[in-house]
Amino acid sequence: MTSAPEFTAEIFQNEYLASGAREVSAVVSVTSAGAVTTAGADTASSAEIIIVDCSGSMAAPMAKLIQAREATAAAIDVIRDGTAFAVVAGALRAWPIYPANGSMAIANATSRADAKRAVKRLGAHDGTAIGQWLQAARQLFLTRQDDLRHAILLTDGQNAHESAAQLDDAIQTCTGVFTCDCRGVGTDWEVAELRKISTALLGTVDIVPDPAGLTADFEALMTASMAKQVADVRLRVWTPQHTTVRYVKQVAPAVEDLTGMRKHVTELAGDYPTGAWGPAESRDYHVCVDVQPAAVGQEMLAARVSLVQDSDAGSQTLAQGLIKAIWSDDERMSTRINRHVAHYTGQAELAQAIQDGLEARTAGDDTTAADRLGRAVEIARESGNEASAKLLAKVVDVDPVTGTVRLKPKVAAADEMALDTRSTKTVRVKK
Amino acid sequence: MARCPAGHDSAAADYCDLCGLRMGGPPAADQTDLGLERAPSAPGPPCPRCGTPGLARFCESCGYSEESAPPSESPVTSEEPPPEASVATADPVAPARRTGWTAVVTASRSHYESVMAAVGPDAPDIPFPDDCPERTFALSGSQLRIGRRSVSREVAPDIDLTGPPADPGISRLHAILIAQPDGTWAIVDPGSANGTSVNGVEIETGEQVPLRNHDTIGLGAWTSIAIVGQLSDEEERSS
Repeated sequence: MTSAPEFTAEIFQNEYLASGAREVSAVVSVTSAGAVTTAGADTASSAEIIIVDCSGSMAAPMAKLIQAREATAAAIDVIRDGTAFAVVAGALRAWPIYPANGSMAIANATSRADAKRAVKRLGAHDGTAIGQWLQAARQLFLTRQDDLRHAILLTDGQNAHESAAQLDDAIQTCTGVFTCDCRGVGTDWEVAELRKISTALLGTVDIVPDPAGLTADFEALMTASMAKQVADVRLRVWTPQHTTVRYVKQVAPAVEDLTGMRKHVTELAGDYPTGAWGPAESRDYHVCVDVQPAAVGQEMLAARVSLVQDSDAGSQTLAQGLIKAIWSDDERMSTRINRHVAHYTGQAELAQAIQDGLEARTAGDDTTAADRLGRAVEIARESGNEASAKLLAKVVDVDPVTGTVRLKPKVAAADEMALDTRSTKTVRVKK
Repeated sequence: MARCPAGHDSAAADYCDLCGLRMGGPPAADQTDLGLERAPSAPGPPCPRCGTPGLARFCESCGYSEESAPPSESPVTSEEPPPEASVATADPVAPARRTGWTAVVTASRSHYESVMAAVGPDAPDIPFPDDCPERTFALSGSQLRIGRRSVSREVAPDIDLTGPPADPGISRLHAILIAQPDGTWAIVDPGSANGTSVNGVEIETGEQVPLRNHDTIGLGAWTSIAIVGQLSDEEERSS
């Protein structure tokens, strides 16, 4: 008996191309059915590790460490009975907090209480080497064979005590082993660093500017993770010969470029990771390929997009959608842009404009910054992305009459970092 | 294993698992698309003779036509000697009356100019050939395929316009000449990429258009085929 959700894949595209055109763009909307999990029916086993920054800076102010302890305890409370779990402290190296012997515990009332007691003793000293923390979590996960492996990583500082290459190596060895949501508390950490981890490990990244917000955030993260039922779902993209995949991006709920994560399957097919899925989830992907043009009137399959999962019986296809190309001389057909494709093209541009604008602002290039952030304001308004519009309003002023965008002379670091981390959040197409 | 329009064996039944073409769709064309307005034609049933997925009223692969081919007739095959001698072989069962008709292939400046004008400024850069020797094909048999030789599919059309000079606007199976019961000929365009005209008028896909002495068929970018009957002027007038 399985409670694994069923999946559907829906394709949104204009399949008509002008004579000689080769670029085919489509949005693949993947939805899992809202199946209700019946207790004990789970077939997928799961493991959770909470990685808490215990470097010296966590004690300055002490509120960070105190809130981190409480948030970790709150997350432990959410862990379902039967789930393997551990708490790891990280500084220059990583060490086990619970269980103290470096194994993973199985969640029940007793182990949760023991873990919370252990977390109260979390101290703060030394520097930060996040690669070490990730490696430690990986080793712990690999002591078992759970289907779903998820970590929460909390830090308050930059990865100052190891090289970027060391962190990259660690990220690479952890890719595909577990997924990781990253949280930065305060404003002394580096958005790009945590984004690199969360992107590769198929998780989210966000800022928790005030330590007091940590508990609610950790609870929400653990609750979302507990809802996951299907692990390691991949988007398999088959394309005909002489076709180039331009990009495969997740575009909702947030922009994540998966293009570089392709894993070879056959000469014509590759897999892109989507991570774990729970019931009633919906994510959109933008697939763009260049095909070899055929004659007007001909129809070609530009890509066969399947959602696959490995099972004991081999690769299992959970859902499938077809991206087509039909060459037409009718310009009314070929020039039309699909609403979904247009919307998500805009959302991806919005994310890029925000990141470019903030980068230019940091580099002191105010002209470029105002230009890019101005474009972001425009797209956010047009597409109804109010969350991004609100975050932008804390960084730029828009003249209500002329529409001219000016950088605010004074911007709180937390506001700038929030805009950066959340720049990739998208809104869905209006129905 | 099904075979896709481009000739690949495909395990997938909906779209070719190598090139992605829709199974049962029109055959892949390798000629240059001139960008002329052509209404896409609806796919038809598979050819009853050779099983090739159909397009219009004519099999794209062997040229079989339900209306024109007597059911017992032997298929027009590619085993026929290639028309290197510029003259199609006479079909032994053909009525003697038909042997007098010929097709004279030339490069037509006026056809070229009208095509380029119709395509407009986006026309592909296709020059008018400097030197195009006149080629004459005797018309015989029940039907003759006009097109370009396909190396991959090993199909030589009866009226082989491969060249040189090569007209890039000609499909592999561009049009078919069909013998009429009265000894005259008709032409059908089974769905070529760039279309066919008779005396400068574009003909409909799948429509059988009767030809008269001295009618001119325009196809591709510059190819012109004059149909010359050997009937006396009197016969021509009275028919």
